[in-house]
Amino acid sequence: MSDSQDIETATTAIQTSQVAQPDSKTRRYDRQLRLWAATGQSSLESARILVCSGSATSTSVLKNLVLPGVGHFTILDAHVVTPEDAGNNFFLEGLDSVGKSRAEEAVRLLSELNDGVEGQANTANLDDILEKDPSYITSFSLVIAHNLPSSTLDRLATLLWSNTSFPPLIVIRSAGFLAEIFIQFHEHPIIDSHPETPASLRIDKPFPALLDHALKLDIENMDVIDHGNIPYVVILVRALEEWKASHNGSPPKTYEEKSEFKKGLLARKKKADEENFDEAAAQAYRVWTETTVPNEISKLFSDPGVTSLTPSSPAFFHLLKALQQFSSQPPHTLPLSSTLPDMKSDTASYVHLQKLYKARAEEEKLVFKSILKKNGAPVDDAIVDEFVKNAHGLKLLRGEKWGSLDADKNALSACLKGNTKETATHLALSALARIQAANPSVQPTEDDLRTAVLALIGGELPRSSSGEVIGESELEEAIGELARAPTADLPNTAAFLGGLVAQEAIKMITRQYVPVKGVCVVDLIGSWTGVVQP
Amino acid sequence: MAAVNGTPSSGDWPNRYFHVDQILDKPGPRTDPAFSAGPVVKDFLRNQCKILVIGAGGLGCEILANLALTGFKDIHVIDMDTIDISNLNRQFLFRPRDVGKPKANVAAEFVMKRVPGVKVTPYFGKIQDKGEDYYMQFQLVICGLDSVEARRWINATLFQMVDDDNPESTKPLIDGGTEGFRGQARVIIPNMTSCYECSLDMLNKPTAFPICTIANTPRLPEHCIEWASVLEWPRVHGDKKMDTDDPEHIGWLYEVALNRAKNFKIEGVTWSLTQGVVKNIIPAIASTNAIIAASCCNEAFKFATSSAAFLNNYFMMIGTDGVYSYTFEHQRRDDCPVCGGEELAVEIGKEWTVERLIEMLVERQNIQIKKPSLSSANGTKHIYFQAPPQLEAATRPNLEKKVFDLVGDAGDILVTSHSLPFSLNLRVSYV
Ligand SMILES: [Zn+2]
Repeated sequence: MSDSQDIETATTAIQTSQVAQPDSKTRRYDRQLRLWAATGQSSLESARILVCSGSATSTSVLKNLVLPGVGHFTILDAHVVTPEDAGNNFFLEGLDSVGKSRAEEAVRLLSELNDGVEGQANTANLDDILEKDPSYITSFSLVIAHNLPSSTLDRLATLLWSNTSFPPLIVIRSAGFLAEIFIQFHEHPIIDSHPETPASLRIDKPFPALLDHALKLDIENMDVIDHGNIPYVVILVRALEEWKASHNGSPPKTYEEKSEFKKGLLARKKKADEENFDEAAAQAYRVWTETTVPNEISKLFSDPGVTSLTPSSPAFFHLLKALQQFSSQPPHTLPLSSTLPDMKSDTASYVHLQKLYKARAEEEKLVFKSILKKNGAPVDDAIVDEFVKNAHGLKLLRGEKWGSLDADKNALSACLKGNTKETATHLALSALARIQAANPSVQPTEDDLRTAVLALIGGELPRSSSGEVIGESELEEAIGELARAPTADLPNTAAFLGGLVAQEAIKMITRQYVPVKGVCVVDLIGSWTGVVQP
Repeated sequence: MAAVNGTPSSGDWPNRYFHVDQILDKPGPRTDPAFSAGPVVKDFLRNQCKILVIGAGGLGCEILANLALTGFKDIHVIDMDTIDISNLNRQFLFRPRDVGKPKANVAAEFVMKRVPGVKVTPYFGKIQDKGEDYYMQFQLVICGLDSVEARRWINATLFQMVDDDNPESTKPLIDGGTEGFRGQARVIIPNMTSCYECSLDMLNKPTAFPICTIANTPRLPEHCIEWASVLEWPRVHGDKKMDTDDPEHIGWLYEVALNRAKNFKIEGVTWSLTQGVVKNIIPAIASTNAIIAASCCNEAFKFATSSAAFLNNYFMMIGTDGVYSYTFEHQRRDDCPVCGGEELAVEIGKEWTVERLIEMLVERQNIQIKKPSLSSANGTKHIYFQAPPQLEAATRPNLEKKVFDLVGDAGDILVTSHSLPFSLNLRVSYV
C-alpha cells in the first residue's frame, strides 16, 4: 500500500464510520450489551415490573433496573414518608419528602435516572387490590415484594401461583444484617445460559467434509512453514483416523495408549517449535472423550413438558422434542456448533476449517428445522437459530411456591442438616415474620423467636447420627441478631439486596444466565451468601 | 468546621438513624465485647471518622451514597476521570447534562444535596498527586477502581505509612472490583492480612495476541483490530497519539480493521468489538456494582463501629449461574514485595539476556511490572534504567548482555519502576 492510498482510506473511513458509529442509546448501554446483547436488552425494555413497597431495599432494587433500562415500573405503596424513611432511603429528599406519598416521591427520584423508563406510583392498598382487582397485579411481567406482612405476602404468592401464565414473584425479607430472597416461578426455560464450557468440536466423530479434508492433506510433502500451521483439529482428526486403522477401529483407551498417542503427535513435528503440535497434544483428550448428548440435556427429554407435548405447548418444548429426535439419529450428538476456537494456524487454513464447520452446522440446522416442520411445530427462525447455537447449554428450571418449604417439616430438617447456617437464618426470618404478623407493634424477644422456630420445625432441632443437636449455635446467632434489629432496613443491606435482586430479575426477564433456585440467604456479619434447597 | 459535620443535631432530625441505631444501640451475638454501644460509637462514626473513597465511578457512586446513609459525615473522594455517556447505565449520580465534567465533583455535589449534613470533599486528580500526610488523615480507605496499577500504588503506599510506634498509622484498605456478573470485596489491614500485591496472580490474564499473528496470520476479528491499532495507526499517523475516546479515531481503526478482515475473509469486525478491543472494555452493570459496593461499605461500617466482626478477608461472588459466593481468608505470600519481605526466587537460563529477563518481568502473573529498571549489588550497579534518558542510553547496551555475565552466580537483582512505590528483590538462579 502506498501512502496516498492510505490517506484516501483514512478519509473515507471517517465518512463511513459516522454511519457505523452506534447511536446514543447503544453507547449508553454499551457495558451491559456486552453481557446480554440486543435480544436481552429488548426483553428488558418490554418488561413491566411491580414493586410492593417503597422501602430503602425496594428503591435499591429499582435503581438497578431503571439504570439498565427496564420498560416500566410501578411502586405500590400506600404509606407517607416518615422521618425514619427519610434517613435511610437515597430516593427520598430528606425532610422535604416527609409527609408526602412514599410511592410518588420514590418514583419521581428514580425516574430521573433514565428518561427511557416509565415509572408510576400507586398509592392504593395491596390488600384492597388483591381483593378487588387481582388482574391488575397479574398484568405485570414480574412482581417484587419486600418485607410485606406475611398474610398479605401469602395472598399475593397464592394469586401468582394460581396460573402458570402469571408473573414470577421475587420475595425479599430482611432485618438488620440478615436477609433472604426467593423466586417463585412455575417453569423457566433458558436457551442462552452462557455456559462456561464450549460446545464439542466433534473430533472423535468428524463430519464427512472434515474427515475428508484431514485425510487429503499432503502433510508429508508440506513445506516447514505450512506444516507448522496445520490447525490442531486437523492434526487430531488425522492422527485418530490413523490410530484407529491400526487398532481395530478403536480410539486410544488405556492410560498407556493415550500416552503413546500423545507422544505420537509430538513425534510428527518437523521442527521443535511447532506450537500447533503442542496444542494438539494438549487437546488430545478430545479424541477419547466421546461426544454425546450431555447428561443435563438428555434429562430434559424426559421432562413432562416434552413427554406430554401438545400443539399448544410453549415453543421451548417443541424445540426440545425436535432436539431429542435429532440426537436419536447417528452420530447421536447435538447439532454442530459453528464456533471454532482460535488455534495456531495461518489465515487460509484456519478460515478454510471455519468454513467447513459453518457449512456443516448450517446443514444440521436444516435437518433440525425439517424435523420441527414434520412435527407441525412452526417456530420463529431467529429462535431456532438461537436454540441450535446454544443447544449444549439449555436449561429448564422448575420452581416452587413461596412457603412450600416452611410447610414441610421433614424438608426443613433435612435442609438444617445439609445447609445448617443458611437454614437456621431462614428459620429465624420466618419466625420473625410470624411474630410480626401476629403482633406488629411488639418487639420480639429471643425467646419469642426461638419458640416460633421450634414450632416451624415440629418441636425440636434435628440430631446427627451421633446424637448431636444440629444448628443450635447457628440458630442462636441468627435469633440474637433479629432480636437486636427486627425492623432495621440497613442502607448497606438494602444496597446489597438491591444488587442481588436486580441481578436475578434481569436473569428472569432476559431468560439469559441462570437464576437462583431455592431460598438464597444473606448474612452480612459473616459476609456470606448461601442457598437453602431441599 | 466540627460544628457543621459534627454535633448530632446538625442536619439530623429525630429518628433519622432509626434503622442504623438498632445496630448501634446494643450488641448482637457475634459482636466484639469491646463494642461501646450507644452515644460513643455514634459520636465516632458521625463526628470523628474521616473516610477516603478512591474512585467515583461504578463502585464509587454506590459507595458514596451508602456511606452517607449509614452516617459517615466526613467523606473524601478522589477520581481523575470525567463523565462519559457510557457511564450512565450504572453511575447513578450522573445525568446526561454532566457528560464531560469531573466525576469526583459531580458525585460529591449530588450526595451532599441528597443526604443533608454530609460533607463530601472531592479531588479531581490522581491518587499519586497526594502524599503520606494526605492519606494519614483518614481512618479508613475504600477503593473502587478498575485500574490494577492504581490499586498496587495505594496498597504499597498504605503499607509504607505504617509506623510501629503509632497505631493510627495503620490504615485498613477495603477494596472492591467487578466484571460483568462477578465481583469481589476484600479487607486489607497492613501487616495483618494478605495485601493486594499478594494476589496479583489471581487476576485474569489479559488476552495478548502475539505480534506475528497480528502481522502475518490473522484468524480472528480481534487480530485485525490489533493490526489496525498497534501497527497501522503509528505507521500512518506517526507520533499523533491515538485517543480511544475519540469516535473518529475508533472509526478509523474500525474501517482499517474491516478492510483487513475482508482481505483475509475473516468475519466479525464490528464497531463495538473494535472499541472493546482497543479500550480493553470490561462489561459492567449497576447490580453487580451495588452488591460489591454494599459489601465494601458494610465492612467499613463494621470496622468503624465494631458493631459486628468484619470480613476476614475476601468475599467473591459469581452471579452467572445462580448465586455463588465464597468467603475465605486469602493468605499472604512470603515473597510478596510489599508485605512479604522475602526475596522472589526466579529461575532463568544461563543464556538469557537482560532484555529477555525484562520481558519475563513484564509478563509473569505475580510480577507484572510494566517498565522495570534493574540494578545489582544493592542498587549500586546499574543494569538497565528506563529513565532518565541519559541513564537509559548509558545502560542500553546491557540489554543484549547475558544476565549471568552481569550479576554472576549469586544473582541478586533489585527491580524498581516509576509506577510502583516499592522495589522487588529478585534472587536469580540458572538452569
Ligand atoms: Zn502482600
